Amino acid sequence: MRGSGDTLIALAVVFAPLSLLSFGGGNAVIADIAQQAITVQGWTSEREFADFFALSRAAPGPGSMLAALIGWKAAGVAGALVATLAFYLPSALLVFAAARLWGRWRGSSWHSAIERGIAPVAAGLFLGSGLVVLRASPGGPAVWVAAIVTTVALLRWPGMHPVPLLLAGAALFGILGAL
Amino acid sequence: MRGGKRYKQVMREPQETDAGRGIGEVPGLWAILIAFLRLGCTSFGGGTAAWLHREFVLRRRWLDDQTFLAALALNQALPGSNGVKQAVLIGNHLRGAPGAAVALFGLLAGPFVIVLAVAAVYAGLIQHKIVHDMLDGVAAAVIGLTFATGLRSGVYGAPGFVAWAIVAVTVLCIGVLGWPLIPVVLCLIPVSVGLAWAQGRRR
Repeated sequence: MRGSGDTLIALAVVFAPLSLLSFGGGNAVIADIAQQAITVQGWTSEREFADFFALSRAAPGPGSMLAALIGWKAAGVAGALVATLAFYLPSALLVFAAARLWGRWRGSSWHSAIERGIAPVAAGLFLGSGLVVLRASPGGPAVWVAAIVTTVALLRWPGMHPVPLLLAGAALFGILGAL
Repeated sequence: MRGGKRYKQVMREPQETDAGRGIGEVPGLWAILIAFLRLGCTSFGGGTAAWLHREFVLRRRWLDDQTFLAALALNQALPGSNGVKQAVLIGNHLRGAPGAAVALFGLLAGPFVIVLAVAAVYAGLIQHKIVHDMLDGVAAAVIGLTFATGLRSGVYGAPGFVAWAIVAVTVLCIGVLGWPLIPVVLCLIPVSVGLAWAQGRRR
């Protein structure tokens, strides 16, 4: 843990701009994070980055805690905090400001027309993005079957908690992989 | 079984949905914090927006489908993690700035602690093949959660033939043809808003 004040500043300087560049979600900038963390700043080795990426995928919560892990490796818990805040706060503030601005016009007829018009596109994006992930996944037919079974189960029993389905998916793929 | 029957009934009568289901009282900050902490710790496999929909629209009924979808669309236009932005928008919708702050903190705090605790013990564990296979299984199930959420929120939040046609075109462009998201959204939203505007005037 070298000169930790400098490292903390470097973490903020690396992650804050990436927060504002990650159009389409946090995954959009993973390649940039890798380049910065491994090549430019030398915070992690390639192997450590791969470990952190896999770990952040396994963890609960939004997208990745990849920033937290890299910050932790570079400068301990303070580093983890700085990297996480730098990666999430700028985009959170931006969306908050946009929501505030938008909320000011609530009640006007064009405001509600826009909200009604946007809703089907957003629903389509949900379904479309699911399809994109499905088609890109390397797992083959098993992934399709698991996804369809889960869809049907959750539509049939809306109150059901998804975690048992996730565990079933994990067990099934673990067994298939071992065979 | 009863849940499924209710769902089928609603499928046939989409226009009744939001009024019929009713949005509950606005929750307090403490309740918002606890809900997001819980969600942060249990939403495995990505697809946070789908988890948020399930928890706050479906289970707790703190907001309706159309509000959720409108927030999601605003969210998609801006950079950053979609789940985090959606949490901020939900918190803001419920309790303004303090709600947004509490939602953001609640969603991130749990995973932050968990991920550091695991990394401190042994990050290399995660590279075993079986762990990767199991993660693929979790991801496949989460795709199912995303599909179910898209279908259900479309039925409730975007009722009517025109809206469903827009849903179908969006799925075709993004999911089947694989066109890039931003230009597709920029073309479809004006069309969809124009149609919604025209429909509103006719009523």
